Amino acid sequence: MILEILTKRYPGLRAWLLQRLTGLVIAIYSIGFFVRLLVLQPNSFEAWHAFFDPCWLRIATLLMWISLSEHAWLGVRDVLKDYVPNVRVRTVLTKLVAIVLWLYLAWAVWLLYSL
Amino acid sequence: MLNNKIMQNNKIQPNKNRQNRPKNLNLFTIRMPINALVSILHRATGCLLFLILPLLLIMLQLSLSSAEHYQMAQSLMNSPFIKLMLLGLAWAFFHHFFAGIRHLAMDVHWMTSLMKARFTSKAVLGLGVLATLALAVKLWAW
Repeated sequence: MILEILTKRYPGLRAWLLQRLTGLVIAIYSIGFFVRLLVLQPNSFEAWHAFFDPCWLRIATLLMWISLSEHAWLGVRDVLKDYVPNVRVRTVLTKLVAIVLWLYLAWAVWLLYSL
Repeated sequence: MLNNKIMQNNKIQPNKNRQNRPKNLNLFTIRMPINALVSILHRATGCLLFLILPLLLIMLQLSLSSAEHYQMAQSLMNSPFIKLMLLGLAWAFFHHFFAGIRHLAMDVHWMTSLMKARFTSKAVLGLGVLATLALAVKLWAW
């Protein structure tokens, strides 16, 4: 919402800023995840399950996945804009990417919830 | 045709019409500067990472659903071929990660001169390979 107010007159800036912010979220999560892996070194099912058990980690994972969806959406959309000149094909592909990303997000939510 | 003209006159003539514009779309005739290499790899690895998202979710689901499935995922990961693929994907992630950090640094006007940008490009390529090698050691030696 703040983003929308800040970038009301510059919709391109919104995409640019969101790409950076979501990238930052994913990067920070990745570092944290990696450190947790190194510290706990889970090497059994129980340990692996316990790895994902804390509520805060699941919330962080969910936030990361939402950021990832947005990040991937902006990135792949730009790639399609650059390399698929046919408007009709591009529209179909872009919509397909959006649908797939929503499905992944639903999958991730369900996965995290049903642990 | 135009190239000949340029060579004869030894100067570039302004194009009167669009057809006479030089076309040089053979990518293999263009030498890529290191910054361009890092940039295109950032894009390519980004696409690759998008494409493997379902694999990531499947493996996560498999390894977390039950002890038997965890064993299954474990034995899958133990095959050398899968390990190699995993390393390739890990490199894609590391490169995208470091190139992304480089982007953020440049957005705050850090390391933006050409020489510095070349240096950070080398650093990004080197760090990506180093991180992958470290993971390889971890995967095979332990």
